[in-house]
Amino acid sequence: MRRLWRSMPLRLALVLVVLFGTVSLLSLATSYAVTRAAFEQAIRDDLAQDLAGFRAAPTSGAVALLVQAESEGTDPSRLVLSYVTRSGRIYGNGAVARDDEGFHIISLEERRATLDGEYLALSARLHGGRLTIARSRAEIEALRPVFFNILWISLLPTVLIALSGGLILARRSERHVEVVRNALEKLSGGDLAARVQTTPRWSDDLLGIGRSVNSMADAQERSVMALRQVSSDIAHDLKTPVQRVSLRLEVLAQVVDDGEAADLVAQTREEVEGISAVFHALLQLAQVENGALKAQFAPVDLAKLCGTMVEVYEPTAGARNQQLLFEGPDSLKVSGEKNLLGQMIANLLENALRHTGEGAEICVALFHEQGRPVLSVTDNGPGIPASERDRVTQRLYRLDQSRHTPGNGLGLSLVEGVARLHGAELSFGDAQPGLRVMLRFPVAS
Amino acid sequence: MKILVIEDDATTGTYIARGLREEGHIVDLVTDGREGLVAATGGGHDVLIVDRMLPQVDGLTLVKTLRGAGSSAPVLFLTAMGSVEDRIGGLNAGADDYLVKPFAFGELSARVAALGRRPQAVEQETSLQTGDLMLDLLTRKVTREGQEIDLLPREFALLEFLLRRKGRVQTRTMLLEGVWDLSFDPMTNVVETHVSRLRAKVDKPFETELIKTVRGSGYRIDG
Repeated sequence: MRRLWRSMPLRLALVLVVLFGTVSLLSLATSYAVTRAAFEQAIRDDLAQDLAGFRAAPTSGAVALLVQAESEGTDPSRLVLSYVTRSGRIYGNGAVARDDEGFHIISLEERRATLDGEYLALSARLHGGRLTIARSRAEIEALRPVFFNILWISLLPTVLIALSGGLILARRSERHVEVVRNALEKLSGGDLAARVQTTPRWSDDLLGIGRSVNSMADAQERSVMALRQVSSDIAHDLKTPVQRVSLRLEVLAQVVDDGEAADLVAQTREEVEGISAVFHALLQLAQVENGALKAQFAPVDLAKLCGTMVEVYEPTAGARNQQLLFEGPDSLKVSGEKNLLGQMIANLLENALRHTGEGAEICVALFHEQGRPVLSVTDNGPGIPASERDRVTQRLYRLDQSRHTPGNGLGLSLVEGVARLHGAELSFGDAQPGLRVMLRFPVAS
Repeated sequence: MKILVIEDDATTGTYIARGLREEGHIVDLVTDGREGLVAATGGGHDVLIVDRMLPQVDGLTLVKTLRGAGSSAPVLFLTAMGSVEDRIGGLNAGADDYLVKPFAFGELSARVAALGRRPQAVEQETSLQTGDLMLDLLTRKVTREGQEIDLLPREFALLEFLLRRKGRVQTRTMLLEGVWDLSFDPMTNVVETHVSRLRAKVDKPFETELIKTVRGSGYRIDG
């Protein structure tokens, strides 16, 4: 539901509702103010006219008579006439009293004592007395509920219709976007056959996106298939002769007598092994980099795997007086492919063992950092110069100082490939002294 | 054992067949998938060695068909690819083991021997023995000539693995898979160092050598 609220059509509907509401509110408020002003002006005009009528009376007595006559039968809640003569007599249907709080209109009828409500009053001295005429503003006040009613009647249905329309559209487009998202998730998860199933009812822009995703998926599938074909062709066409050579060399090794010939055979066998190792590494790299392997992912206990790898390499390290340690929890699961993760750790360990001298310390650590599992391999060897750190994962790249050590320059490329396949960030840091390789895995979903 | 080799590369096939025959096996060699299927269904072979890429019927289909027909003969796949997907696909199709080209004959021979022995009855042994070496599986104690030998848990596991497969060569990759449950190719000689540590405790203080190195293949404890 929260996602629905954040969806585009609903947001659009909300913005429109707010915009429309503001505009109608403003226009209603303006017409209310204008109408109100016009009503007030009309009352003022009436009052002036009334006063002018009374001014025509020649004497104070005549005014009193007129006021008395006029106020007979006039509802004081509509119109109050009051004339106070010089001697203090009050004529009319109300008395206007003035005190600290302002004006009070007091009814002269016995039924009502005071009059509530707002009045507009005009007061003038006339023949020594004071004439006050007050007209009720009730009509103006009556405008307010009328305008409120207009507001509700016009605004409420608009808001409701726009909102529900927005919700319906949001639901629909949410479903369509969901279809696109599912297809994309499947694709990035390694299911190359996943496609967006569009229907003609989709809006044109989503339809366009769906088609683009599909053509992208087609292209990806084609290139992965081509890569697989090329890999398997190379593997088959090149490995078969290498296989023959290695089998022949094996037979040869059995028949030649010890001596120069046997040494040559042994050296050649080593070379052939080297060739097939490079082959294997290149094929593995190509395969890791196409990402389709994600379909094979399963939970892997990284802590157990690290422990096993450290145990496997511990005697090798011990033989060179190197120390190999593992620090980490008993269990830490990530989603991945166990053999590739094992190969990755092996490559990191072999690098560390190979490029550090006697007595070096190598520590494999596993911990959590901001919820992400982190695997680090730290040594106290010569490290990698900062300027070279970006390049060490390039295929067949080797530091000048390590050209004379064994290795084919594919180890870290594979580490990077496996890391990327697992969504892990690979970084090289300075352990002062030494190298610290860090692999930050994504937060487990 | 009676072994059927289905391999389209004549040279490789011939070498495999010759090597296996020299070890005393009876070997049938065919070079395409259809022929292989015919031979496999009526042959009564103990182990099948099948190339993944075969003309006519490919290796994967062949093994699936055989398994579908109820054959349970162990199958060793040979493949040029060696990718994770390839491996999983092969094992899912019903293959029992998997070997990536180029391989050494010693590796193939050791794996074939292991496959041929696979359907053994599970014996509830409490101890393993060879010569004067005794390994007690209950107390986890190892003695030789009556002397107790102190082994680390993984050294014990390695010795147990070799002893359980007395008389058969165990290659480095077989040991990595069997003892550590790892299938990858280490560049350095990790297995060798483990074996030499074990030897330093089990063999060095004594006169005869129990753990033998088989040149170009692996290790073996003789029965």
